[in-house]
Amino acid sequence: MIAALRQPAPAHTAFAEARFLQVLDRPLVVSGQLSWLGGDRLQRRVEHPRAETATIADGEVTQQREGKPPRHFSLKRAPQLQVLLDSFAALLGGDAGRLQQAFEIRHEGDAAGAWTLTLVPRDARVARTVARIRIDGAGNQPRCMHMEEADGDLAVDLLGPLAARMPAQPTRTGLQALCQGSP
Amino acid sequence: MRRGARATLLVAWLLVLAGLGWVVAQRLKVSTDLRSFMPAPTTPDQRLLMEQVGEGPGSRLLLLTISGPSDAPLAALSQGLATALKKDARYSQVLNGSFDLSSLDPQLLPYRYLLSPTLDTQPLDEAYLADQLQQRLDDLSSPAASLLKSLLPLDPTLETLKLAERWAPAKSPELRDGMWFTPRHEALLLVQTVAAGFDPGAQEQAIDGIRQAFHALPGSAGAHLELSGPGYFSVLIGAQTRHQADWIGRVSTVGFIALLLLAYRSVGSLLLSALPIASAALAGIAALTLAFGEVHGITLAFGFTLLGVAQEYPIRVLSHRRAGEDALDSVRDLWPLLLTAIASACIAYLAFYASGVAGLQQLAVFTIVGLLVAGLSTRYLLPHLLPRRVRDVAAMGWLILARDWLDHLPRPRWVPLLVALATAAMLALAPGPFWQNNLAALTPVPTALLQHDARLREALGAPDVRYLLVLQAPTEQGVLALSQSLQPQADALVARHAVDAIELPSRYLPTVAQQRARQQQLPDRATLEQALAGALQGMPFRADLFQPFVDDVETARALPPLTPERYAQTPLGQRLTAMLVRRDGHWLGLATVSGVHDVAALQTLGADRGGAVHLLDLKAASESLVAAYRTRILQALLAAALLLVLTISIALRSARRAWHVLAPMTLATFLVLAVERVAGIEISLFHLVALILAGGLGLHYALFFERDTGDPAEQRRTLHATVVCVLSALLVFGMLAWATIPVLRAIGLTVSLGVAFHFCLSILMAPHARQD
Repeated sequence: MIAALRQPAPAHTAFAEARFLQVLDRPLVVSGQLSWLGGDRLQRRVEHPRAETATIADGEVTQQREGKPPRHFSLKRAPQLQVLLDSFAALLGGDAGRLQQAFEIRHEGDAAGAWTLTLVPRDARVARTVARIRIDGAGNQPRCMHMEEADGDLAVDLLGPLAARMPAQPTRTGLQALCQGSP
Repeated sequence: MRRGARATLLVAWLLVLAGLGWVVAQRLKVSTDLRSFMPAPTTPDQRLLMEQVGEGPGSRLLLLTISGPSDAPLAALSQGLATALKKDARYSQVLNGSFDLSSLDPQLLPYRYLLSPTLDTQPLDEAYLADQLQQRLDDLSSPAASLLKSLLPLDPTLETLKLAERWAPAKSPELRDGMWFTPRHEALLLVQTVAAGFDPGAQEQAIDGIRQAFHALPGSAGAHLELSGPGYFSVLIGAQTRHQADWIGRVSTVGFIALLLLAYRSVGSLLLSALPIASAALAGIAALTLAFGEVHGITLAFGFTLLGVAQEYPIRVLSHRRAGEDALDSVRDLWPLLLTAIASACIAYLAFYASGVAGLQQLAVFTIVGLLVAGLSTRYLLPHLLPRRVRDVAAMGWLILARDWLDHLPRPRWVPLLVALATAAMLALAPGPFWQNNLAALTPVPTALLQHDARLREALGAPDVRYLLVLQAPTEQGVLALSQSLQPQADALVARHAVDAIELPSRYLPTVAQQRARQQQLPDRATLEQALAGALQGMPFRADLFQPFVDDVETARALPPLTPERYAQTPLGQRLTAMLVRRDGHWLGLATVSGVHDVAALQTLGADRGGAVHLLDLKAASESLVAAYRTRILQALLAAALLLVLTISIALRSARRAWHVLAPMTLATFLVLAVERVAGIEISLFHLVALILAGGLGLHYALFFERDTGDPAEQRRTLHATVVCVLSALLVFGMLAWATIPVLRAIGLTVSLGVAFHFCLSILMAPHARQD
């Protein structure tokens, strides 16, 4: 099934992300484009509400915001990005081995219809921040990615065409329905 | 003396030695602080230099690298080691590049509003808070969110991060996996020890602690830990010097014993002749323990070397014995000359005492006491013990031939003149500077290690060890205020690339006045809550989220300002304490500089402060110190030389005979200097010390060769004694000349050359041989 997800690099996909954080009363919504540039290079470009680009290359993250000097930090310090990179690079590269290496995998559904992959990070240090990822998809298209953090915070990314359907006031259950609903 | 009386004397002597040994074992405390072997400072800059060399922040820095097959485990090892060392009281600071929010002690956390410059330009009003909260919202949707979430409720304006950035080293090395790495793929750590840099004993413990912590880490087996820095060097050099000196000492002792056995063919004589030397060494150390609180390790090492002269006394006695003659009679004949030699050597070593350097003064006490004891026991005790029947060396065939050959050597009067002219020419034409003023050349760190150190310092932007910016003010707060007011000028210099970084003391702690001014800027609880409520309008943050922030601001308003004393309990505060020095009723601030590109521009910094700010060039200060030191040693030597002329003239009761003794000795001394200079060697203090030792030996040769007994057999005995002495000195010091440690080599080479030249010249210039 993973081999079927394979796409040639660079692969771009629109995303809309809702973050449900304990420090916030309501979720934080951003949207933009995710690009897998091949290998271990990934770009997360936020277009709304404020432009910001995060680029992962060679284990380092470069964060650029308009009117500010770029910030650099190690990928090790951003476990969320590490997980994003591991899962995306493996899925879009069709690399089941890599996915196996980074995560414990549980698979539900069938490859032709709707499916769900649950990934639990094997690296204990990563797992301290990111508890698990759930990817919902249909056929050869991933539709949603849920990143559950260890402290209960949750980020839900709607991918591809679904990104345009992010509600203005998303709720956990609303997004759940959207992800598992019909394409 | 009867057999029974001899045995009693021997037992009594040995008992006295055992008693001395017991005293020494009870009282001897060996110190390792290298500074007691450095000259006493006279100018304020020199005093500062000596303090900085020993205790300054620069001298406490250890640079660590971890290398291994690949990057990943190295970063983990770096983090593991840093975590372990931070818990250890032996280290005041551990940096490895890892992102550290805890650079401010948790107890001092509310002080962030007093320490960070934010409030100087920006009140905590609604507009500022709104802008900051919007930025935090952006941060929360960015990949860096997890770094921030925990900090947010307490510190929404991120003052802790601003302080962490402010206190981070000016130039950070390359970060890989969040840790510092050198361009050669080694993980890099910076450790500041609590122990002073030039206390090799304490540094050794600190270094062992690091090694143990490293080896206790899982995965450290495949990786390699390397250290660098002044403290490590002092430990390494100490161990290397000891190792080499021990090794050379063992080899030359075996050679020395073999030589004496060959010369005198008597085990008994050999063992007995060791007694005066053993007495000399024990009495010397005992005198040191009585006169000084602590004895320096180097004093002992050098002292034993210099005591080598004393071995001549029993050798002279053994060689000058005639068949069937009582040892006591031979000694009586020799004694006037021997006494002259002992007195002269003591006078030469007095020059060390006059040098004013603690270590050299100890050396003088040790050698003078040692020489007197060796001389007196050779005269009054040894002869009673020596076996009665001996072989007269004068009858040895080879000695007769050798003496004959020497006596028939042509001795034209122009030889000394020619040697003198050649010496003068060589001294005039020799390449390079005459004196070696560089203290570093005396503490010889292998070039490869220095290059490794320079490479790490370059990568780290670690402070330059040569320059130090000194700020002076009547009070501690005055220094901080001066430092604060210099900051804009310092920033301008960095912007112009005159220097890579200047670390002023106010970087770690603003003045009390400035902290009070910032405190004034902090809103009271009601005002802040109102501003916060306004700023939170339309934001998704939970209503009560920022309660810890409001509480901390409230606490900060009432805090007593942070002073260096209060601050000193934290690692950063210790760093500050090292930068503030109290001196004669005023205070000095020491700012470190890194990567100096334009010294002239740096010297202009604070030039308008009426002398309160000046750039200390540690190299220039140390060179002026060495030059002043040398001047004093040379003056002392001149005085010793005059005393020596007087002593010899009185002892020999003839200016002409004194001339015959002193001329070859003087000529040989200058010849050694000339030959070393022509070979490109710059003359250091150690060469001077070695020249004095060689001069002392040369004086013996000249004194004995000058002695005209009119008896060819006695002349042969003199030749025998001198040859044994020369060979044993050449053996001991010739071995040292092969050492790789420059100090040992300087001494070995100088003394070996000296002994050879003194021997040749004193034979060639001996008056009676020419008259024959």
